[in-house]
Amino acid sequence: MTAATAPARSRLAAGRAGLATARLLRLELRHNAMLWLLPVVIAVFWLTTYRKTMALPPLWSPRADSLQTGVVIVFTAPVAGAAAWMGSREARRHVTDLVSVTARPRWARQLASWAATAGWAIVGYLVCLAAVYGVTAHQVHWGGPLWWPAAVTVASLAAVSALGFAAGALLPSRFTAPVVAVAAFFVLALSTQLIVGSQSYWQVSPIATGPWDGGPDPGVATFYPYVPDLAIAQFMFLAGITVAVLGGLALAAGPGGRRLGRPAAAVTAAGLLAAATAAGLAGTGTMDRHGMIAIPALHDAASDRPIPFTPVCSHTTIPVCLNPAFAGYLPATAAALRPVLSQLAGLPGAPARISQAAAVYHQEAGNGVAIGLAGPQLTGTPPVYRLLLPDQLGGPPLTAQAWASQLRIGTGRDIVASVIGAGPGASRAQDAVAAAIMLAAGVDPAVPIPGSPPPRNGGPRPSPGLALGSPGLAAAQRFAARPAATRHAWLVQHLAALRAGQVTVAQLP
Amino acid sequence: MMNVEMTGLTRRFGRTLAVAGVDLHAGPGVFGLLGPNGAGKTSLLRMMATAVPPTSGRLRLLGRDPGRPGPRREIRQRLGYLPQQLGYYPGFTAAEFVEYFALLKDVPAARVPAAVATALDRVDLGSRARARLRTLSGGMLRRVGIAQAIVNQPDLLLLDEPTAGLDPEQRVAFRVLLRDLGQHATVVVSTHLVEDVGTACAHVGLLDQGKIVFNGSPAELAARGQDNGVGDAPLERGYSAVLAAARS
Repeated sequence: MTAATAPARSRLAAGRAGLATARLLRLELRHNAMLWLLPVVIAVFWLTTYRKTMALPPLWSPRADSLQTGVVIVFTAPVAGAAAWMGSREARRHVTDLVSVTARPRWARQLASWAATAGWAIVGYLVCLAAVYGVTAHQVHWGGPLWWPAAVTVASLAAVSALGFAAGALLPSRFTAPVVAVAAFFVLALSTQLIVGSQSYWQVSPIATGPWDGGPDPGVATFYPYVPDLAIAQFMFLAGITVAVLGGLALAAGPGGRRLGRPAAAVTAAGLLAAATAAGLAGTGTMDRHGMIAIPALHDAASDRPIPFTPVCSHTTIPVCLNPAFAGYLPATAAALRPVLSQLAGLPGAPARISQAAAVYHQEAGNGVAIGLAGPQLTGTPPVYRLLLPDQLGGPPLTAQAWASQLRIGTGRDIVASVIGAGPGASRAQDAVAAAIMLAAGVDPAVPIPGSPPPRNGGPRPSPGLALGSPGLAAAQRFAARPAATRHAWLVQHLAALRAGQVTVAQLP
Repeated sequence: MMNVEMTGLTRRFGRTLAVAGVDLHAGPGVFGLLGPNGAGKTSLLRMMATAVPPTSGRLRLLGRDPGRPGPRREIRQRLGYLPQQLGYYPGFTAAEFVEYFALLKDVPAARVPAAVATALDRVDLGSRARARLRTLSGGMLRRVGIAQAIVNQPDLLLLDEPTAGLDPEQRVAFRVLLRDLGQHATVVVSTHLVEDVGTACAHVGLLDQGKIVFNGSPAELAARGQDNGVGDAPLERGYSAVLAAARS
């Protein structure tokens, strides 16, 4: 053999081996239990995850997070069960003797069978991903799809199938698959119960996509870049588990001599090391001010810089400007605030613009997360009112009506209060004028804010001095009944004195 | 050329001594392995198939030591094995099942389709290649088992009760196949059916209580029963006479 022909022969042999492996994989793909489970899994996904995910605002981050969590939960039990079923196949079908005397090593057979199981699971996931990302791409106005959650989900399916397959191969029986399926589901669910705060090792669970109990948050990864630190740790953990389990299977495959034993032991050790390191890294994570988990060893400081954007603005008397990711919200936001803004336009100290701001996140005791604004709501000259949309404040999803009401009543009241100076510590006259403006805008100041979480940032709220039958409420009703031009003229003239607390209720027209 | 060489081969399963010091050498040709139930035929065949290692003794197959991983893989590439209880995957078609084993036996991928077709034709299952195994009769399944054993054109073919479940016509055809295979390969057939041995085998070994108690030609075995054997056929009389002599 010449030096030139040796590599050519080696390539030829590798090509033949690759072709044989491909044919083996094709056979395994045709006869894999996961293939039969896919329609059921996708139907369950549609019922439990797709509709919930698509009900979220059309933003990449919350939908990607919801998809990751939902798919992992829906797929885990069937994938683990199917993998265990395939892993136990040789023993269940009594072909162990027959296949054990073939030239191809046991781990190579098992690898093909596992790869087919994991492959179908991943194909099923990709169908789900294509559906969610495809529809989202037509709905979003800004940003792009997040791929780290997708990578974590793929790694999760690979790890779950590897664990299930190993269980089936090592403990083969017809009961292994159902037991493994149920156990996998409970282990996954219970793993999240152990997450306490943002510095928990258990965040490495693929169900967690950020601060636990935070849920998919539309405010995250919009004003600031998506921080993939936790996803990287999860991917590393799951890949490590997969590699360790597959290496362990090769070790358990019996005496293969040094040729197989040492590499298998090395691969197993490397996988375990990677998984342990990843869990350790997850334990060093902390929630950053932008609502994402930052892991110092993996963190890129560039993700702390805000994403520059040109806001989209309404043509109202006082423009309402939103982040372009929320452009779809602009008509509804402007419509909800228009009555209040029209009352305030032209007043001294009224905001020149209502501008959407980034929320700031703070880890509370346990898994609680406080969300609010950093600094005052009204800032700058000319003043700009910084707005948080209801979606940015967390809490349960709202209907369109509740969302608009919360904005009209809650945010509208806050905007008025910020101009008039109403709220805690304000005079009765200030509260009465604020209430009168709300009444004039068509909002009863006594109406509670629908679906509103308790105030998180100390923002102003209606005074208790405006109780039914009180002089304050009577003054407010009287002032609201005045013609708009009269109210406006009076406010232009007296607003400074009113804000200084120099106007009494009796002095209101 | 000896494809099977064993000296003082033993195999224990716990306290049970299944194979108790067997010496056997076999070259190309069909070798019949006879013996009563529990004589150790299947254990001996499984050792020859590299399914289980011997407890002690020396075993060389196709000129190689099956105790070492590299040579064992080379042996397995040239080995065909049909176990007594054939397990199978019911969802596979006959062709897929045979293809699966062709791939596991490292048959070059480009040659696999032709090898599968040839193997199925040789057991007269070419027309049922696309039938799922769950739809085949017991005899057909047995023939699929034989097809997977010969798909790699083995130099050492080990068949444990290959004719169990075959109808008389298929059994005759199978004997022809055995003789054909035995022209180039060493074929070891474990069976209860002495007529299979008489028509297909050039050599016969009789195993009793883990030991070879007879090793010779079918004619020599038949000759042993001329005076004191029990049975309807000469081979049956030889069989019973040898066993009686070994146990006395």
